[in-house]
Amino acid sequence: MATLKKEAVMQPVRAVQIGRSPLARILLWVAVLMAVIWVLYPFVWAVITSFKTQREALEPTIVPFLQFQPSAENWSAELGLGARETTLALGNSIAISIGATVLATVLGTLTGYALARFRYGIGNRNIVSWVLSQRFLPPVATLIPFFLVLQRLQMIDTVPGLILVNTTFTLPFAILIMRDFFADFPDEIEEAALVDGANPLQIFLRVALPLATPAITAAAIICFAFAWNEYLFASVIAPKDAKPYTFLVASTSTVRGVHFGYLATRMLIAITLPVVLSLFVQRYIVRGLSLGAVKG
Amino acid sequence: MYKKSRARYFFLMPGVVWILAFTFFPLIFSLYLSFTNANMRNFTQATWNLVGFQNYASIGSDLRVGETVVTSLYLTVGSTLLTLTLGTFLAWLFNHDLPGLRIFRSILTMPLFAAPIALGFMGLILFNETSGSINSIIRGLGGTGVRWMTDSWSARTAVLLLDTWQWSPFVFVIILAAMQSIPEELYEAARLDTGSGWAVFRSITFPLIAPALGTVALLRLVETFKILDIPFSMLGGGPGSATQTYSYYVYITGLRNFNMGYASALAYILVIIAIIISTVYFWRVRARFE
Repeated sequence: MATLKKEAVMQPVRAVQIGRSPLARILLWVAVLMAVIWVLYPFVWAVITSFKTQREALEPTIVPFLQFQPSAENWSAELGLGARETTLALGNSIAISIGATVLATVLGTLTGYALARFRYGIGNRNIVSWVLSQRFLPPVATLIPFFLVLQRLQMIDTVPGLILVNTTFTLPFAILIMRDFFADFPDEIEEAALVDGANPLQIFLRVALPLATPAITAAAIICFAFAWNEYLFASVIAPKDAKPYTFLVASTSTVRGVHFGYLATRMLIAITLPVVLSLFVQRYIVRGLSLGAVKG
Repeated sequence: MYKKSRARYFFLMPGVVWILAFTFFPLIFSLYLSFTNANMRNFTQATWNLVGFQNYASIGSDLRVGETVVTSLYLTVGSTLLTLTLGTFLAWLFNHDLPGLRIFRSILTMPLFAAPIALGFMGLILFNETSGSINSIIRGLGGTGVRWMTDSWSARTAVLLLDTWQWSPFVFVIILAAMQSIPEELYEAARLDTGSGWAVFRSITFPLIAPALGTVALLRLVETFKILDIPFSMLGGGPGSATQTYSYYVYITGLRNFNMGYASALAYILVIIAIIISTVYFWRVRARFE
């Protein structure tokens, strides 16, 4: 059944047919090509810049070997053996993102399952709206109370402090993705297990959970990407020992002056992981980012 | 029987308790702080006393607020309009029977997952006045370089363009999904009447994607009003304070100058706007969550 469902979603998308005229076709392809260049251009430019020395970075040259001699100096400065600061920050980023992802995915799967399978007096749609409405809140509004509370708990500049923050921000995505998955998924197998005398917890653990693996993976990836990208709270809550990579990147220009090649290298390290991971969750992006308003 | 089983609270509660503890408690705490003179002038522990509506009263006479609101409004309105236009155009473009659509769609969504704080640095490289590639292109086409880093409105525009680059793909994926849910028969019927692609777009496509456009516009409005990372890393809020958005100003007031009571009052104005927009939003879409 799971495969049937998947095929129904993955079938080739129906689309408007292009006019027969070759001119229309060419124009369309030119437009598509321009769109792709427009999106990729800054990435490509950053990659080129990251292989330039400071002097070369001040020249608008593009072609390596012909126009400038590529050098891996920036990359080795950032990722080489002596780069303790980088290793530490990347380690923190990974610990924070994984911690938040695990917590948000576990909580999100439980709550998402609850909202898809059970009925609550308040009205399920009201609970879902309430959960998702958090994404509308300006983060600066909760920044000060978070700072004061974590200060009292002596959790400033700790990895658990940032795990707590990022779990809170990513939880609505996890709940939404899991609720949508279970709501779209036929509950006949679960009903059958109920008739066989299984209790709700057994049904959840042995029947529903194994079937939900793809959705859980997607929820985890999206949570991971958002936690990885978080900067605002990190800058306030973890300025030293628990500093994640985004915060290290943000302090670049003040440390070394504006060194373009080095900056480009750090920028690329910061964005690569989430951008690559996003390629695996295409089906969930539309729903996740539109907070459930549009089915992708 | 199952739907009303008592186990339902066991599944629901962990998430709900988490949200109550870490979103709603801070929100109420922050409302309380907005009526105090909370500060951390000794840089170790915050202290506060209730001061009534004093913070809210001083917002009106704060000269800095005006400029940050102008910057935020420029970015919010500008980015919402630009991303909607570009995103819809891209969706229309990719809604043709092109081979490899899924690969293109994946490429086009890449900017969405790039950390905004890193994008600011991308902006620093691209918009650099002397060596940046954008001014090089402008010069190559015969223009004169734009003062992206030193002129107030050009700097705001550079931030606007970066944000547009990052978020047009968001509008694109959502509007493309909306376009693809339009039944083929409607197009066939329309094509019998007219040969013009524009007429089909105007009379069929546009009316049917209008609700999705409304939804996306609301999301974009909320999201852009929060902008802070890009101006922060790109220009440190400069030149002068030209790219300091309202959120940025709240951040500096509360966590650089540690004037936390006043910052909470500033932030609460944003919270009220967010509550209004989110009420409208979920009133529109909540039927889907039943």
